[in-house]
Amino acid sequence: MSEHDITFDAMGSHVRLLIGEPGTGLAPAAEAAERARRFIHGFDAALSRFKPESELCALNRDRRERVPASPLLRQAVSAGLAAAERSDGLVDPTLLGAIEDAGYTISRAGMSGMPLTEALAEAPPRHPAHPSPDQSWRRFEIDDAAGEIVRPAGLGFDTGGTGKGLAADLVAASLRGYSRFTVDCGGDIRIGGADALVHPYEVFVEHPLTGERAYVVRLGSGGVATSGLNVRIWRRADGRYSHHLLDPATGEPAWTGLVGATALADTALEAETLSKAALLSGPERARELFAERGGLIVHDGGRVELVGPLAAAPRIRIPADAGLAGVAR
Amino acid sequence: MTDSRRSARRPGPGTVLWGSVALFAVLFALLTLQLSSGADPTLSGATAAAPVQVRKVIKRRIVTTIVPRPGTTSVSSGPVTSSTAEAPAEAVTTSAS
Repeated sequence: MSEHDITFDAMGSHVRLLIGEPGTGLAPAAEAAERARRFIHGFDAALSRFKPESELCALNRDRRERVPASPLLRQAVSAGLAAAERSDGLVDPTLLGAIEDAGYTISRAGMSGMPLTEALAEAPPRHPAHPSPDQSWRRFEIDDAAGEIVRPAGLGFDTGGTGKGLAADLVAASLRGYSRFTVDCGGDIRIGGADALVHPYEVFVEHPLTGERAYVVRLGSGGVATSGLNVRIWRRADGRYSHHLLDPATGEPAWTGLVGATALADTALEAETLSKAALLSGPERARELFAERGGLIVHDGGRVELVGPLAAAPRIRIPADAGLAGVAR
Repeated sequence: MTDSRRSARRPGPGTVLWGSVALFAVLFALLTLQLSSGADPTLSGATAAAPVQVRKVIKRRIVTTIVPRPGTTSVSSGPVTSSTAEAPAEAVTTSAS
């Protein structure tokens, strides 16, 4: 059982592809990996808000209400709107102005962030985030027939909250027919292939405070994603700490009592949406969001809490061919 | 004749009772010891520590740096690590990014 393993940087993160044996008539795994790598770089070039020449930046600059858009951009905007819908507006793709006001104006890839423990010590009292009262994201429409995106001029869109999950799912779709595969776009992971059901992948969940392995999930199919405060944290000019996950109701960084959330779902996009929504909601609502498919939340103090099916999974090692199982480490 | 009858005589009820109690106590103590050491015999078939599989992985690793041609608008990338192996070198990790 050979597997091609390729790693590169894109979308401000590390991307890793593991591709098994090709099915009949499919290209060798190395060729598929190279094609996927090109796709992800193209995805990044078109949809990065940090690249002025990207199609996303062009959309946000455009003063027309109806803007011609490529199928990829329409798909990305559609994914962002679906995430907002799925999370009742908590994962809001229209907070572009607020996130820039908070100081996140350039890619922070490769930059060392401020210590999360210090930020937590100085953070305001914890409370759940809430959707924006005006729900601006509902003013976006996709007109696929005309190939246009319709929205009030000046209302910016940020695909950052859902882009990596969408990219992982799109690459995964292109790998149907390979014996098994993993697409890891900066921690938003999609797994598939018939052999993966028999020989599931081990996915390590990183602890946001210690950087150590908090848990190991064995996954034979579907998506897993993590949101956390440990990266992209900085000090504002006024000295307050800030991070990239904003409370849509206030436009301010959300401090909810959680520092990390990892979600399991059918797709990477859904897992990413659920993990962000859970982190923004705080512990109580996070347990409800993860009840069906399972997940893991990390409290401010560092305590790791398993939720849903993960909490019910036996805390013992299970034979590798047993499908989905959890292994506490 | 009398001696052989004596040797074949069955043990009395007290001997059977106390013998059973003693045997039970010994077996119970053994099981308690085994469980407390983490080796539950009912789980041994499926969950005992699996023997360490030693896999001989023959791995070819190619590191390629792609440098974009001047004037092109195509996307660029940093170093690419690419390899084919009999088994993945390490598990994937999900973390905030």
